[in-house]
Amino acid sequence: MTLVEKILAKKAGKKVVRPDKIVEVSVDRAMIHDALGAHTIARFGELGVKKVWDAARVIVVLDHYVPNKDIDTAKKCLNIKKFVLEQGIENYYEVGKGGIAHQVLVEKGHVLPGTILVAVDSHTTTSGVMGAFATGIGVDEMAVVFKTGRLWERVPGTIRINVEGKLKPPIMSKDLMLLILKRLGVSGALFKSLQYTGSTISQMSIEGRMTLTNMAIESGATNGIIEPDQKTLDFLKARTSQPFEVVQSDPDAEYAETLEFRAEDIKEPVVAVPSKPSNVVGVTEVEGTRIDQAFIGSCTNGRLEDLRIAAKILKGRKVDKFTKVIIIPASQEVLKAALAEELIATFVEAGAVVGPPTCGPCMEAHMGILGPDEVCLSTANRNFQGRVGDVTAKIYLASPATVAASALKGKISDPREFF
Amino acid sequence: MELKGRVWKFGKDVDTDELFAGRFMMGGDETSRSQYQEFIAKSGLSDVAHRENVPGDFLARVAKGDIIVAEENFGIGSSRQQAAETLKFKGVQAVVADSIHRIFFRNFWNLGCPAIDLPGISAEFETGQEIVIDLRQAIIKNLITGKEFEFRLIIPAWFIDMVEAGGLIPYHRSLKS
Ligand code: SF4
Repeated sequence: MTLVEKILAKKAGKKVVRPDKIVEVSVDRAMIHDALGAHTIARFGELGVKKVWDAARVIVVLDHYVPNKDIDTAKKCLNIKKFVLEQGIENYYEVGKGGIAHQVLVEKGHVLPGTILVAVDSHTTTSGVMGAFATGIGVDEMAVVFKTGRLWERVPGTIRINVEGKLKPPIMSKDLMLLILKRLGVSGALFKSLQYTGSTISQMSIEGRMTLTNMAIESGATNGIIEPDQKTLDFLKARTSQPFEVVQSDPDAEYAETLEFRAEDIKEPVVAVPSKPSNVVGVTEVEGTRIDQAFIGSCTNGRLEDLRIAAKILKGRKVDKFTKVIIIPASQEVLKAALAEELIATFVEAGAVVGPPTCGPCMEAHMGILGPDEVCLSTANRNFQGRVGDVTAKIYLASPATVAASALKGKISDPREFF
Repeated sequence: MELKGRVWKFGKDVDTDELFAGRFMMGGDETSRSQYQEFIAKSGLSDVAHRENVPGDFLARVAKGDIIVAEENFGIGSSRQQAAETLKFKGVQAVVADSIHRIFFRNFWNLGCPAIDLPGISAEFETGQEIVIDLRQAIIKNLITGKEFEFRLIIPAWFIDMVEAGGLIPYHRSLKS
């Protein structure tokens, strides 16, 4: 069995599970955030049970609309806080303590290898970076998980994405992921799991790997997953004292498909052009496209490594006079580290605005919303029409290096000139 | 269980931002169910005039009992249940598509509305035709062309009971603990 099949079998109490069979599993962690948490709580209330099945397994993070942007969002967050207090939920991340949920889940050690995490968010796939089965569900289903601690799942067959060789800076894991999406398309992995393997993945930092698992959902996949290695274990050691058991793929595991990539073949950074993350072209093909906004952040690329590469490019330079440059660390922990390394000072000096840890202009939630016909180059994960504001706005996706280089010129630019 | 309705033909990759834009996600007061439903129904597909994969007159003419037949990858994107709710509250009772994204698939069923994926089905229907879905027999019929199509759903055994109960929440409430 593959890694994901083994986790599902273990949690279903079965010896063997097969792709496309239905299993019922126990859930190890369940997360709600402010965008859908109040809805979940309302539905949970309709079930007529008083207490969640296990308050220690519930995690609550406020991230989409914080600090609250209006009375509606403040009210929903108040509802959530009330629920947290009533239920005795310890794992609660208020503004200033957490950040974007997917980042917080991993960096606070809530996601353990071999476990199952569900959350009311499609990018829950991010947490697969720890070798867990992590996936998104809707609010009615989360209400039932809160009641029962159980979930049904269609066992996904595994598509193995094997990547060999060394990525040459400024090529980042984001470029690799966009190329994977170009190959798979936005529906190439429906009801499948993406498992990333190969020497490129082994060499990659946990942060870089998170970009891959984060965007697995963009291929339609149920989840993304990476087998834990020494890096994963070292990362976890500093963050949790809870016991866990590492699950690995069997040597004779059967994959639905294996896609091979070679890092050396990626010669230039890439950009996803509107309005699908799989519409991927080389940066030189769209070089010179005027941008109104450059955004570095989100659960895809708002981590320290992302901010470091952006700072390397922005240091001692000024961003374009007419371009709104918005940089948002993915979490309080990332912000703290970025302050210590003086990355934030570099951004501010360059003329970028630095936001508090939140989703920001990744979606049409809170900050950096786009007006008619505006063009945004973003490090986020989706460029659907209308994703970040007016339906006529255009969103391009790229790596933090490409976005930083473009911010300087006010047009899409090749970051290779800085390396 | 048989569902019969008028067809609306949608294109491919209808995404959740399109079905329900982010700017409405924090709206909808949950304390009044009827107000919530009204808000969700009217906020969905708000920018549809700019889209090519949804018929231009859908919002003006959609009625209770209608059924969407879509090309591949219906409901791609976010876990926002409002994307499924807005279709239900506008009157759509089922979605049939060449393929359906996992989260939308689950969300729509959980509201008591079947989501049926069957590769190639979209080519067999046009907007305005009559469709019948027999859930227990797993057959879709086009009443205009007379053609029948068998489907195979990968769902838990209790799912059709759940639909008959009116959705996941009512189904769970009805279960003896
Ligand atoms: S950063 Fe964007 S994709 Fe990630 S959780 Fe927030 S809104 Fe969703």
